[in-house]
Amino acid sequence: MADDKDVLRDVWFGRIPTCFTLNPDEVTEREAEAYYLLLPRVSYLPVVTDKVKKHFQKVMRAEDVEEMWFEYEGTPLKWHYPIGVLFDLHASNTVLPWNITVHFKNFPDRDLLHCSSNSVVEAHFMSSIKEADALKHKSQVVNDMQKKDHKQLWMGLQNDKFDQFWAMNRKLMEYPTEDGGFRYIPFRIYQTLSDRPFIQKLFRPVSPEGNAHTLGDLLKEMYPDALTNDGEVKRYQILIHGIEPLLETPLQWLSEHLSHPDNFLHICVVPVPTD
Amino acid sequence: MTVQPEQADVLTRSLPLEMNCRALDEERFCRCCRLILRRSDQLRDGWSWEALQGSEGYLKKTTLRPLPAGWGPEQDGGESPGAEPAALQPDPLVSTGSEEEDADLRLPSNSSSPVLQWEYHVLYSCSYATPVLYFRAFTLDGRSLTLEEIWKSIHPNFGLRLQNCPLNAVSQQEHPLLGQPFFFLHPCRTEEFMGPVLQAALDHGRYAHPGFWVHEGPMRFYLETWT
Repeated sequence: MADDKDVLRDVWFGRIPTCFTLNPDEVTEREAEAYYLLLPRVSYLPVVTDKVKKHFQKVMRAEDVEEMWFEYEGTPLKWHYPIGVLFDLHASNTVLPWNITVHFKNFPDRDLLHCSSNSVVEAHFMSSIKEADALKHKSQVVNDMQKKDHKQLWMGLQNDKFDQFWAMNRKLMEYPTEDGGFRYIPFRIYQTLSDRPFIQKLFRPVSPEGNAHTLGDLLKEMYPDALTNDGEVKRYQILIHGIEPLLETPLQWLSEHLSHPDNFLHICVVPVPTD
Repeated sequence: MTVQPEQADVLTRSLPLEMNCRALDEERFCRCCRLILRRSDQLRDGWSWEALQGSEGYLKKTTLRPLPAGWGPEQDGGESPGAEPAALQPDPLVSTGSEEEDADLRLPSNSSSPVLQWEYHVLYSCSYATPVLYFRAFTLDGRSLTLEEIWKSIHPNFGLRLQNCPLNAVSQQEHPLLGQPFFFLHPCRTEEFMGPVLQAALDHGRYAHPGFWVHEGPMRFYLETWT
């Protein structure tokens, strides 16, 4: 059971100050001014950028506007990752605001999923919740919910309603006390150093001996290079929601409190800044 | 190449059990893949194993297929002027590659009918403990098919199942090993989609025939549904 409401609120209301500028190659009728927004870490770019689209479309002719997409320093941003994950992975050690470039042509369809409407984001979000519950409860909780309950989760996220979302999401966070945690922890470990976008495998919150697994245990098994051995200089930061949790933190607690609304614990491994 | 009777017997006995996807761990998935690859080699139908680090990997096949009946790229969308069906000719460099070619769907060399290049990947999903089909399709000038075009290309027998909420059955998703956009059949719906296909095979007694698993490999069968 999630019981530390302050942590849940801090996670939910995390914001990233962002400056959107139009790609200079776009054809405009007059100069496009930059647009500033506080982006919710736990949401998705298409859900919160309607205003950005309207702002730039005002200076463009309709025929020059194709599907909108975003880029940061040459990297197309995957809208299907939570915004906070994109920031931690690509921009965590840069000066704020986060400078995102907006494009309306040359959609990179070998890199990005298309997103024609918010219903595509909703399907993606629900599919992640279902996958997480397959890992946590063999899909029993999500299958016992009604359609309106699923809708409540999505509407809570879409409209930034913490109480509406958590009234339903807490059911997805329950587990039998005697088990000491979920069946498996839904997690993804991201890094930018290989083509493989993330690591996702089976990992239990409790060892066969009955000890609580920690964040360090997970990384030792999944990505040992990310850890700093004794006497070594630290090479990587392990980020969740922009912070570096202690490696001794129990994984079950992290899963209940620091998971994104899609119910996955998204962990970013990024190189330590050199300067 | 002929299949030795005793070999066929082994496959007939082992595969239906192995292909029961409800409790498939990764090791068994890999074992099934090895059996399928062995048979695919015999049939020369082009499946290969793409290895990643360790024992991980996935099944892959690339094939050219004619456009499904009644299908056509959006004529009015103007997304890609070069993509009209008339402009599509089988590329001799691609269509003569015997490894890549599906024996039963080999295009006549003088065929002028438009074709699409399909790429199928079968990956193991540890979350659902099932194989999951990822696929993508290109016109021969390199344009990727859109999700709407993919929905249109699905066999009419399955069209009804897509009507209510197609995004929950077939949608675009990041390939979890390559990081590129693919279409995928949602694991929750795989059984629903494949059940009738296997049932039809059972009803026709083909399942019991020793040749069934040999000559109509389950993965092939699985994929035939989609084009």
